[in-house]
Amino acid sequence: MTIVALDPTGGPLDPRSERRLAPRPESLAGQRLGLVVNGLGHSERFLDALAAELTADGELDGVVKVVKSSVSVPPDPGDWARLTEGATVAITGFGG
Amino acid sequence: MLHARSEEWPDGDAFLEDAFARGWTDGLPVVPPTPEKVEAFLATAGLAPEAVLGTVPTREVTVTAELAAINAVMAGCRPEYFPVVVAAVRAHLDEHGNCHSTTGTLSGAAHAVIVNGPIRHEIGIASGAGCLGPGFRANATIGRALRLVIRNVCRAVPGFLDRATFSWPLRYSFCFGEDEEAGDWTPLHVQRGFAADESTVTVHSVMRMVSSWDSTSRTPEGVLDTLVADTRHHGFNGDEFLGDQIPLVYVMGKEHQRFFFDAGWSKEQMQAYLWPRLTAETAGARDRRYNLGHPENILVVAAGGAGMAETWILFPHLAWAITTPVERVTLPA
Repeated sequence: MTIVALDPTGGPLDPRSERRLAPRPESLAGQRLGLVVNGLGHSERFLDALAAELTADGELDGVVKVVKSSVSVPPDPGDWARLTEGATVAITGFGG
Repeated sequence: MLHARSEEWPDGDAFLEDAFARGWTDGLPVVPPTPEKVEAFLATAGLAPEAVLGTVPTREVTVTAELAAINAVMAGCRPEYFPVVVAAVRAHLDEHGNCHSTTGTLSGAAHAVIVNGPIRHEIGIASGAGCLGPGFRANATIGRALRLVIRNVCRAVPGFLDRATFSWPLRYSFCFGEDEEAGDWTPLHVQRGFAADESTVTVHSVMRMVSSWDSTSRTPEGVLDTLVADTRHHGFNGDEFLGDQIPLVYVMGKEHQRFFFDAGWSKEQMQAYLWPRLTAETAGARDRRYNLGHPENILVVAAGGAGMAETWILFPHLAWAITTPVERVTLPA
């Protein structure tokens, strides 16, 4: 006997296949680096050290650093705006 | 009128295999959500299909009553369980339930659904021996329904938005009732502002669950001192978003409860005894402060059967414990 049933999802479970990655720059020369510090562990110290390493040769055009107000929530809307408007490449880290 | 897309399959087996293939299940079989069943579920809660139970802004997700009902059918619920599922979904999606974090976290947090009030007996929510484990349809399927909503609607799919390193078995289902009749303690929902004859659900996001086993203490203070030591073995730091509402849940079994009933200790006395001891400054690597804003944040729940002198500590993930009322309609006979 045939059966009629309903889709339990509100849309694609994993929509990554519908999205495209942004073009990757061939070098960091002239790029503005965005950093998102999630606040866990020593993430800020690590990202600061990484930024120092990446900016040492003077090719980057600047760094936009965002420190989340809490480990438990995403960045504030204002911080998202700073990132999307001020950074051309970004490094996000996570971990426990 | 229902809004979800419907499809036809040759038979139930074909639907089930397709449900597995499409990633609609937690790895276990599901019940086909037919339109008739979904409508029956919605009727028990008096909800229109498009009624919004909550949203996940970071994922651009809206959870409607219809989507919750579809997943509750799939989980194996009976229609009369659905108002409890609705309450659990609403609690989970409360802003301070912090669902994006608790379902995406590396720690693989689970979600305890604690049921209080008359509905426990009406639908058979277990709160006695074995209540945290398998064997009870209402417990098993209500907890599973919440998890299927988290997966199928909120997209917490392992490897995608669910980033758990290990995850854990409690993520299949975790629902139980408080044994309100065990003694004269004030039930959890009454402590949280509801009337004794109301039914509620408290959703508590659980990052780790630890047994505090103490078979030698014979006094309330002795049991609580062991509980404090076992809790402070892990401790809990503060969090700006959660503020002073970080919770801690103790599920106390009968062999511990009886010392409090015999001595006439209330839950409020227990909270007053525990709070300064839990929040005292960290004294070492295995004696860490638990950052609780208020004694009332210690939620003591009576449950379980006789025999094991044990209380379970449900450490939170980054969320408040949220209590919501179970709202239902009386259906015509």
